[in-house]
Amino acid sequence: MDTSHLAEHAGAAGSFFASIFVVATLSMRTMIPLRVFAILTNILLIATAIPTHNYATMALHTVLLPLNTYRLHQMLQLVRDVKKSVSSDLSMEWLKPFMTERKCTTGEVLFYKDEKADGMFYIVSGQFRLVESGIELPVGAIVGELGMLSPTNVRTQSLECTEGGVILSVSYDQVEQLYVQNPAFGFYFLRLTSARLFQNIETLERRLEQQIVAATPSARSA
Amino acid sequence: MASIVSSLRYLLADVIGDDDSTLPVLPDNLPDHAAPIVSDSIALLTEYQSATHAQLYVDRLKRFIGRPGVDSALFCEIARLMAMRMSYQDPIRIAQLKLIESDGRVSGAADDVRKLRLDELIGALPAPAADPLLDVLGRIGWLRKRVSVRFSAKSRFGIRRLKLEASLRRWRQFSVRFSEERVWVERWLHMIARCLDKQPQSVLAVVETATMVEGHGDPYRQGLADWHLIIDGLAKPTFDGKLPLADLAGAITEARAACMPDPRQVALKRAIAQIRARALGPTGAAG
Repeated sequence: MDTSHLAEHAGAAGSFFASIFVVATLSMRTMIPLRVFAILTNILLIATAIPTHNYATMALHTVLLPLNTYRLHQMLQLVRDVKKSVSSDLSMEWLKPFMTERKCTTGEVLFYKDEKADGMFYIVSGQFRLVESGIELPVGAIVGELGMLSPTNVRTQSLECTEGGVILSVSYDQVEQLYVQNPAFGFYFLRLTSARLFQNIETLERRLEQQIVAATPSARSA
Repeated sequence: MASIVSSLRYLLADVIGDDDSTLPVLPDNLPDHAAPIVSDSIALLTEYQSATHAQLYVDRLKRFIGRPGVDSALFCEIARLMAMRMSYQDPIRIAQLKLIESDGRVSGAADDVRKLRLDELIGALPAPAADPLLDVLGRIGWLRKRVSVRFSAKSRFGIRRLKLEASLRRWRQFSVRFSEERVWVERWLHMIARCLDKQPQSVLAVVETATMVEGHGDPYRQGLADWHLIIDGLAKPTFDGKLPLADLAGAITEARAACMPDPRQVALKRAIAQIRARALGPTGAAG
């Protein structure tokens, strides 16, 4: 029995549905639904290419399918990690896959006070000091995340490398891209940075209280 | 239609060098006599790079408006020198100046032949293109090799070439040199701010150090190296409290007098060592 006409019909129907999925993919406003529809399109086009022996299309979508799946996985993992971070230790380690490594030498200043802020840093090794306050930053600390959201967008202190080490850096532009592509990420990122800001305020309040307590007996004795 | 064109311009802004920022306005509460200098500098930096670059200049200047210890003369000097440093001379700038001089037309103006270093020429390109080239030149030891570049407005071909070189302005902000200059200006401003806090009487000398870094080619590199040596050897340790230098201005003047066109900086290093030894005294120098 000749089944070639069935393959032709399947091919035509498949192409029709794939076209609908392509339109749907391109009409998505944000990245996660866009990737989901792209994956569905890839599967449909691979399935359509088999009976019609369209090997070029099949090869193309066999490459695109794992790529789309991997990017979707990355995006979902990012949202999951940021969400987890909000409800646990407020760490920003989830940003590490998006950061680039840079070696720093002793005496190098990563940024100066009042300079326009354009990126944030994660300390991997070495020793770093905030010059104006004299605070030593531990390995694993994130610096400069609030500059992205501050209205003035300037550094409040200078950061100096006091012992050579490695840092990871990411520009605000890159974070903004993640923010715009993914509303869920944006929402949790805002919650995370706000939580870190409140944490800073609490620390300052505690320090102020300690200073007041320390100053009170000396004032009395004077 | 206009909105589509606008979106396309935004999408391709980095490639076509489009800058939709508005021209910065003069900041409020400028000290006396500063307005003409700042105004001219805004025009210069807009022509040199873009309105965004001029805005960065204004933002940097705002740090010193109303700051204790900054009088009108000092503010004007900071404004003048910062504009000079933010419009540094690179091959693109030299082409721009030649075009301005000839009004963009074939003229009888004499050719400009400049001696530029290879790293200076390549450094004007965007970092992704320049970095591999600089890496290769470094390996074969050609980074400091000097080449003569002719900037001519005597023929149509010369004008075309100048226009092409000047058009690279749009990619200047992605260049290796641009980021190096940004770091330099920030360090200079940082030193001024620290001097205002620690030793305000010496601040003019720190501001004036910007005149050490001028031009292009070897004199520029020499000035830059000398500047870093003076700042690292005298100014920074004084601000950090590691060097008890009562008269930083005098020390900077003394060190600047020892600056020679010598890549090994022997005289300058010796002068700085002497100043440090005097400041630290016999005990400190021995330690």
